[in-house]
Amino acid sequence: MNIDINFLGILIGAIMASSVPLILAASGELITERSGVLNLGVEGMMIIGAISGFALMVITDNLFLAIIGSMLSGLLLSFIFGFLTQSLLTNHVATGLALTIFGIGLSAMIGKDFVGIPGKQFPLLFVNLKEAIPFFGPIFFGHSIVFYFAFLLPFGTNYFLKKTKIGLIVRAVGDSPLSAANQGINVLLVRYCCILYGGAMCGLGGAYLSLIYTPQWIENMTAGRGWIALALVVFATWSPLKVLVGAIIFGGITILQLHMQAMGIRIPVQFLSALPYIMTIVVLVIISRDSRKIKLNTPTSLGQIFYKEK
Amino acid sequence: MNTKLKVSKVSKIYPGCIANDNVSLNFQSGKIYALLGENGAGKSTLVKILSGVINPDKGQIFLNDKLLKLTSPKDAKNNNIGMVFQHFNLFETLSVFENLSIDNEKNNHQLRILINNILKKYNFKIDLDVPILNLSAGQKQKVEIVRCLIRNPKVLIMDEPTSVLTEQETEDLFLSLKKFSKEGILIIYITHKLKEVLSLCDEVAVMRKGKVVSISRTVDEELSSLANKMIGENLNKIKKIASNNLSGEEILKVSRLNFNSEDPYEVNLVDINFTLNKGECLGIAGISGNGQNELFQILSGETLSNNGSIKFRSKEISKLNPKERREYLMAFSPEDRISQAAVPSLKIYENVALNNFKTSNFFEKGLFNERKIKDHSKKILSNFSVNTDNVNLKSQFLSGGNLQKLILGRELITSPELLICFNPTWGLDVGAINYIHQTLVKINEQGKSIILISTNNDELLQLSDRISVINKGKLSKIMSAEEVNPEKLGLLMGGGLVD
Repeated sequence: MNIDINFLGILIGAIMASSVPLILAASGELITERSGVLNLGVEGMMIIGAISGFALMVITDNLFLAIIGSMLSGLLLSFIFGFLTQSLLTNHVATGLALTIFGIGLSAMIGKDFVGIPGKQFPLLFVNLKEAIPFFGPIFFGHSIVFYFAFLLPFGTNYFLKKTKIGLIVRAVGDSPLSAANQGINVLLVRYCCILYGGAMCGLGGAYLSLIYTPQWIENMTAGRGWIALALVVFATWSPLKVLVGAIIFGGITILQLHMQAMGIRIPVQFLSALPYIMTIVVLVIISRDSRKIKLNTPTSLGQIFYKEK
Repeated sequence: MNTKLKVSKVSKIYPGCIANDNVSLNFQSGKIYALLGENGAGKSTLVKILSGVINPDKGQIFLNDKLLKLTSPKDAKNNNIGMVFQHFNLFETLSVFENLSIDNEKNNHQLRILINNILKKYNFKIDLDVPILNLSAGQKQKVEIVRCLIRNPKVLIMDEPTSVLTEQETEDLFLSLKKFSKEGILIIYITHKLKEVLSLCDEVAVMRKGKVVSISRTVDEELSSLANKMIGENLNKIKKIASNNLSGEEILKVSRLNFNSEDPYEVNLVDINFTLNKGECLGIAGISGNGQNELFQILSGETLSNNGSIKFRSKEISKLNPKERREYLMAFSPEDRISQAAVPSLKIYENVALNNFKTSNFFEKGLFNERKIKDHSKKILSNFSVNTDNVNLKSQFLSGGNLQKLILGRELITSPELLICFNPTWGLDVGAINYIHQTLVKINEQGKSIILISTNNDELLQLSDRISVINKGKLSKIMSAEEVNPEKLGLLMGGGLVD
């Protein structure tokens, strides 16, 4: 019985670890969207974060620099998006899609020389506690610093949006950029900051994959997680805590269905592979069905181009 | 606390249009000033300059003899100039308190006390913790006013504040404004409604085509003198000559028409019967929301009635759609210009092409005949004096009056036998209203018939030959215009019985 419980703990720990990139990218994108900007380039920024983190790790042999570098590269990519959509007033959707295609292509090109190079063990915290405490040990301990950061992030994001003045300004800009500008708020500055923050979080999410989760570079290794993160934000109706729930469900069912496949349960593999997507959406739709709350949380100006009268 | 605001030689030029041309004005606290003008006269540009939203090309603004540099809305706020825009600058999804705290440096606790004091002082009843989208238009406006009051304004500018208010809310607003004025706040009130100027303001500046054309005391003015200054020409008094050729040639006959809606917010129509003769104008009065919408939709064919008959020149048309009815030479002008009558994001000629008749040949083998449509559109623009000749202009850039002229023109250029219009002058300024009334009288004189559904009694009494009142989906007895007066109309509209 003891062994079973410990196995369950390890399983839950693994599920949580697998949801980290989603939480990071979705939390970042959530802030971007709350300011009224729809950046569909999440996948592109994640994959760029993954390759630049891994490349920096190989070149400098310094994991700290690799993490910072991955965030900077995501930020740089999102700056291109910000410049195009906010300063040159291009369409958000088209620009975001282009960003993803660009990111995937660029990462493959940079990554050519890094395929097959083994990664480095990322330092894990509280490893001794992981062994010492049954069940809870493997869930809560023996993870990387990024893991803990990711699980605190939705709470921080929630607090930021609901309780701080700057969070209020972000929501106001997302609600009505024109009113915000007439109130003397610098809409462009707010939106740029939110875009760059989103980019950095996507970069970090990508780096988690290539440096910590499966420490190596594989072409296209984000495998659609960016799109899942985008869907999470929408189906979680722009609420950070629901994003967390959605990410864990998605990670959980992904891992469970792998186990089911391994056990040889007689359900078509295609159905099992589709299960995480279906279940995540079903659950999020159910927990977010309060139409009043949806209306209050949805950034009204999402995806609209804003320009100031002169 | 004496406040003087001086606008000195302010000009603002947009490509193709001088919005403000050398505007100079002096304001002093203790008085309520009206800035009167038609849509597009330059009032809104001037107040946007005063509130720092846009920058003037030339000119200066002085507050108490100090030159102001208003390069952003923040500057206006810091100089105690408060502004309530026509389109509210509120964040719909944020709570009232969040809206008020967003640009305020005070801490939340102090701010809440301050706001509650203001609410109590002026007897405003607003819950601070509900989102703005739950509030009525009047309450939203109060939130905007409170936002200004928090900053102890010296100047308060109201941009067409009553366009969204009910009558009761308007009265409340006027009381508040008079109170603010007594407390020494300089109030500038922008409007195109003449009655409001006379009942609220002490002085009035009239703007026309970007220029200030007159400054006077309201006691020296009356409705007609202000209207003439605003339009720049003497308004032709519209005189309806009672149609003597009511030959009894029946154009439309509606009998035993019923409509039961599944939508709980729609009004059911009960046993509608009337006839309309050639060259006649039948007015349908009523308080809005008593079935006018449903009646218009059934007459135009947008929705079909459950039973009953509509006969146009003795042909049964009750099952035809609007397009088919148009082929019979009926024309329709719905109440909502922006979403029902025209598509604002389409160009003028594209909107014209939407009214496509078999005979008009706008399309050849499914393709646009652009030349033909554009020529046709140009004819409409010039025949109905729309103030542009550019058929490639997007319709959303037309003012309400010009859009209505375009819509009426589109409907009338095919010389229909019957025009059904619903609140054709709603929200328009005096000049446009006058033009549209003239047009309606003219088509009556040409022997065409009109059904005028309107909530404006003056308009109905002026234009109709016969009038009926709709109340809770029922039509009253149809009366000839001579036997109706405003009092009788009011009584019928409220559901009172008159024999």
